[in-house]
Amino acid sequence: MPSSDSEDFESADEGQSYEKKDRKKRLSSSNYSDNALESDQNVAKSAAQSSNVGKPADKQQDADGWDDFDIDDNDTNIATASDRNDNKSKSSVSTKPAVKESNTGWDDFDDWGQDDGYSNAPREPAKPKLAELDAELNAIKDKMAPTPAPAPAPTGGGWGWSMHSLLNTATAGITTLTSQVSQGITTVLETGIGAPEPEELARKASQIKESKPSSSSNTPSVEQVPESASAQSKDGDGAYLPFGNLISGVTKFVETTGPKVISGGLDTLETIGKKTMEILQDGDPGLVKKRAMLGLSSEDKPVLSQVLREAREKAEQEEDKTEGVVEEKRVVEVVNYENLFNDFDGPVYLEALKLLSSQTSMRIEEQKRTLDAANRQAMEETLEMVVEIYELPEKEEDEDDEPSPEGPKPDAFHERLQAATQDLSIKLQFQPVVKQYKEVLDWLSNTEDVTVDVIYKQAVSSLAQATSLSMHLYHKTSELILASKIRSTVDESTALSQLTVVLRKHISDLAAQFAEKLNSISADNKQQVNEYITNIFLEAGNSSTYLETAFQLALPIIQIGAI
Amino acid sequence: MTSGPYNYSYIFKYIIIGDMGVGKSCLLHQFTDKKFMADCPHTIGVEFGTRIIEVAGQKIKLQIWDTAGQERFRAVTRSYYRGAAGALMVYDITRRSTYNHLSSWLTDTRNLTNPSTVIFLIGNKSDLDGQRDVTYEEAKQFADENGLMFVEASAKTGQNVEEAFLETAKKIYQSIQDGRLDLNAAESGVQHKPASPGRPLAAPPAARDHCAC
Repeated sequence: MPSSDSEDFESADEGQSYEKKDRKKRLSSSNYSDNALESDQNVAKSAAQSSNVGKPADKQQDADGWDDFDIDDNDTNIATASDRNDNKSKSSVSTKPAVKESNTGWDDFDDWGQDDGYSNAPREPAKPKLAELDAELNAIKDKMAPTPAPAPAPTGGGWGWSMHSLLNTATAGITTLTSQVSQGITTVLETGIGAPEPEELARKASQIKESKPSSSSNTPSVEQVPESASAQSKDGDGAYLPFGNLISGVTKFVETTGPKVISGGLDTLETIGKKTMEILQDGDPGLVKKRAMLGLSSEDKPVLSQVLREAREKAEQEEDKTEGVVEEKRVVEVVNYENLFNDFDGPVYLEALKLLSSQTSMRIEEQKRTLDAANRQAMEETLEMVVEIYELPEKEEDEDDEPSPEGPKPDAFHERLQAATQDLSIKLQFQPVVKQYKEVLDWLSNTEDVTVDVIYKQAVSSLAQATSLSMHLYHKTSELILASKIRSTVDESTALSQLTVVLRKHISDLAAQFAEKLNSISADNKQQVNEYITNIFLEAGNSSTYLETAFQLALPIIQIGAI
Repeated sequence: MTSGPYNYSYIFKYIIIGDMGVGKSCLLHQFTDKKFMADCPHTIGVEFGTRIIEVAGQKIKLQIWDTAGQERFRAVTRSYYRGAAGALMVYDITRRSTYNHLSSWLTDTRNLTNPSTVIFLIGNKSDLDGQRDVTYEEAKQFADENGLMFVEASAKTGQNVEEAFLETAKKIYQSIQDGRLDLNAAESGVQHKPASPGRPLAAPPAARDHCAC
């Protein structure tokens, strides 16, 4: 067919008068923006068509939305209104099992509307609204449609036609795709935003609350509202219910229910979230596995809002109880590891180490930037190698627990520290940490007739101080290594890793000694003692974390010596 | 030893800089302990001192970073400027070279701190007036030209030491009041801790970041 014809036809069809020659010229020079512009016109047209075509399908989609929650009663086509409500509320809770059945994805939706699509019809007050929603969605999707269309723009004479048909095909594809998507969205919207669902959710929530006498006073009004709302929507059944009507129903419902909505809203959000996950999963089957691995799988997982509610009630109950325990709590609060760590300047040493670490990293980056590609590659390899060398041995439960070495313990500790760092070309001061150890040991052996509280306080304080002094040691070691002219990556790595091992052991030794001390006291409150011992080991763990953090912070300092 | 005073509402970070041997550590020691250390060992990297002072009825904890003056630590000490609210730049009035290096110290300070960082110039060893190598006037002029606060002080006698530290704090506090110093800025060098009377051991949350990332 002659091209002029097709063009004429096209322009007639479109009701537009284009400068065809110009257009062609521009097209051939492959000006994409122009191209897109004109296909906009085309698509707007076909989109309009598709939105018409979409209408019947929408009906089915409507049914689909509901079916999502009625999969269980697909066989029982006759369902009374009250039954349905029950089913709905049930299924909104038990969405998860349904999802599991259909984790292949879109099957979930395909199943719907096969048998009971129309048996569902009478109970669909929200249907008209859905039609509107779908219309909106169609409009949105029509707007979206043009973007992919320009791509297959053909050249030559038969352009108008082929373009048109191509576009048609394309939009058809898009329509199918988007309608599928909108199915999903509709389902979510419907279950999430559609008036009946929150009612159900709120009612469910109120039922839960009802079981508690305290909140029962509110419930009657809540019970009434869903009925009036559904009565309203029944009026509009079969016809297109104006949105306003529905909204007024909702607002009324919101007004009357007040705080109940919050819990309902939470559930709604949750439902939307779950739905989103389902839809996402369809595109990513692995997600199911990931979720399972993360322990997010749906089975017998309590509902978030439920958990929150329960937690709050629990907290309220606790509050009453704890009134009397406050005094006891104070003791523990006063013995606050972080405060003590602060007293001993631990955070400042750590901050100094952090600054040193980050500034050194920046210097490495700067150096890297001045290099050409090949040298940069080499440098990166070196840096990576240091990372591999620089590692901490696993925290093995030390089998090499030397049968308490001859001589006083602090000296042995000092020797171990020196042995760990002997290959460093710098001189380190271990006196502070050794001196503190000595003081702790003296305290432990010379203190009699003290309460468990005092021992506990001393224990946490000693751990905080030892940790703080260790931070100081890491900081000083890093400074000295940086300022040193002789650098040896391997020696430095080994030394710091050995130092960490020794300090880690030191910390657990401190904790063990205090635990022993606590146990040696014939306390009347054994439970308190056990609690204290647990806390001591927890704080020792905290100390170890600080040590490991400090060790890691020193990495750039070792790295910069290697490059 | 464990009952640290928690009833302060601000922490200011100070940094003390200047050539080796100008008396930085001695100034700090005089300020924190009110004592003069005759044979002060060389500082390695950085050492720390704290003291709680009061400005306009507010208790402020000064956290002072006393840096090493030795050239070999220069790269190390440059790391510590960040987040300083106050910088005390020290020279020795009896050694001209320490004064001549001030512009280089000033450049570092300007480059490595905030615009809001208060810089205070201290001419130390004012007790050794007989050996004076730098006049008060020229140092004062240098300070004025560069918008620095300035005193001559003596770590030995304690003259003007207190003033230098306190005036710096007042200026910082003023900047906070004027809104020139943004407390929320990460590098302001100031931490605000709402005082909690009656609960002296309320945990200072700002000090709890032990995360390496």
